[in-house]
Amino acid sequence: MSIPNETLQAMIRSYHGFALTDDELELVRPELESYLQEVEKLRELALANVMSGRLLQAQEGGTP
Amino acid sequence: MADTALVTMTISELAPKIKAKAISPVELTEAVLAQVDRLQPVLNSFITILHDQARRQAREQEAALMRGEYRGPLHGIPIGIKDNIATAGIRTTVGSKVFTDYVPEEDAYVVSRCKEAGAIMIGKENLEEFAAGSTSNNLHYGAVHNPWNLDHIPGGSSGGGGANVAACVTFASLGTDLGGSVRGPANFCGVVGLKQTYGRVSQRGLLVTSFNGDHIGPITRSVQDSALMLQAIAGYDPLDPSTVPVPVPDFSALLGQELRGLKMGIPSNYYFDIIEPEVDTAVRQAIAALEALGVEAREVALPSMQYAGALRIAGMADSVVTHEPYLKTHRHDYGPTVLYRTLAGQFVLGRDYAKALKVQRLIKEEYARVLQDVDFLVTPASPVAAWRIDTETVALDGTAYPVRGPGAGMTARCTSPSNATGLPAMSIPCGFTRAGLPIGLQLIGRPFEEARLFQVAHGYEAVSPSRQRRPALVETG
Repeated sequence: MSIPNETLQAMIRSYHGFALTDDELELVRPELESYLQEVEKLRELALANVMSGRLLQAQEGGTP
Repeated sequence: MADTALVTMTISELAPKIKAKAISPVELTEAVLAQVDRLQPVLNSFITILHDQARRQAREQEAALMRGEYRGPLHGIPIGIKDNIATAGIRTTVGSKVFTDYVPEEDAYVVSRCKEAGAIMIGKENLEEFAAGSTSNNLHYGAVHNPWNLDHIPGGSSGGGGANVAACVTFASLGTDLGGSVRGPANFCGVVGLKQTYGRVSQRGLLVTSFNGDHIGPITRSVQDSALMLQAIAGYDPLDPSTVPVPVPDFSALLGQELRGLKMGIPSNYYFDIIEPEVDTAVRQAIAALEALGVEAREVALPSMQYAGALRIAGMADSVVTHEPYLKTHRHDYGPTVLYRTLAGQFVLGRDYAKALKVQRLIKEEYARVLQDVDFLVTPASPVAAWRIDTETVALDGTAYPVRGPGAGMTARCTSPSNATGLPAMSIPCGFTRAGLPIGLQLIGRPFEEARLFQVAHGYEAVSPSRQRRPALVETG
């Protein structure tokens, strides 16, 4: 899956992002493609019932 | 005592001699500054060297000793500080052009703690631009060189610290670790790097960082020194809500205790899936050495690690938000590798960000379960040894992996999971490649059980093929 430059440019305009020329988008693309590949792996993974990561932390506050 | 004999000692060797006034902080600092002046042109490991301040601090520490005010094992010990950790009155560049003239008004919490412990600050150490990468090939301040082979990277982002400790320029350095930036340079430079449990050490004063998974940790030449450094900087900081109010134990308490009866987990997936054969062999030999010391080995499965790549999604979004104010005003001052890697984060959807956090939780739960059955995990610290500074990609099993900028990440794949889980992890030397470059072993422990990691690492250190080895330039320049 790849996102066309036009879509990325529209996102930048609509969401007040940092402007990128089409040439610069090519420099961003390896990181972007890596992101999209990881998202694809998560497509079938059930995450709805996963709880907050904070629960594994020790209790905060109080006296050290 | 000759200068070389002084600078090659460890903190634990020096401390009793300083306490007994057999070695003076002034004498030690002069020996270190001579080493700094000799090797800075070779290693480029500092951005700012503090000759005058170091000499002043050394005189103050010596005077305190003479008054009978011994402050502990760091008293009179010269150390380096990575240049993304705030130092009052001393410029702190974060390895960037954006902060090239920035002078903080306050010390970071850890810097204050080291000063209170009597440590002497030698300089601010070179790093990857904005600590965002694993090469320490800095566009603005020049590349840091690996003391074992100057054509190779020292690892990053705390590359100056790794190089300095390995080359006996400093006795310890404070680095920062968001994906392996302490453990990586320690691994590539053949020294000891610790990322303690998230929440054990305050991050206050760490600049341009992530809110999720960054740590300040020590790089040292021995496991015992690592425990001493952690002792100095650990503890609850009421002004840093990420710290956890748990008691600070004696981190050296288990050093020297036998390892028989402990159980180590060897991951059957992920950590050994992509690896240079020489690294694989050295790590397997280290596992065999631990077994010979009486540790029981068990294979453990971490199936959720197939989704570990998703952990970077949250980091991408976090990074663009962290850099947003500087990108608005100083975009032209960014190097291209950091700039374009960061700007990719603006396209991350909130839904995917939330999924990444849930994957983080899944992985945390999995490690928590595994660590009920074993006392610690053993993995490689990196799939590869240090590559050449001019290298853009590293090939493994026919695949070319970028090592800088957008798409990079393979080289930190063994270290970065512990930033997501928050578990303590350390890199210790376990041998060399045929080309003479260091290889590192990673130990991962249960939350807040750093003392156990030190026990295991200390036991292994005594039999490691890396013991007593130093880069040739320590003595010869």
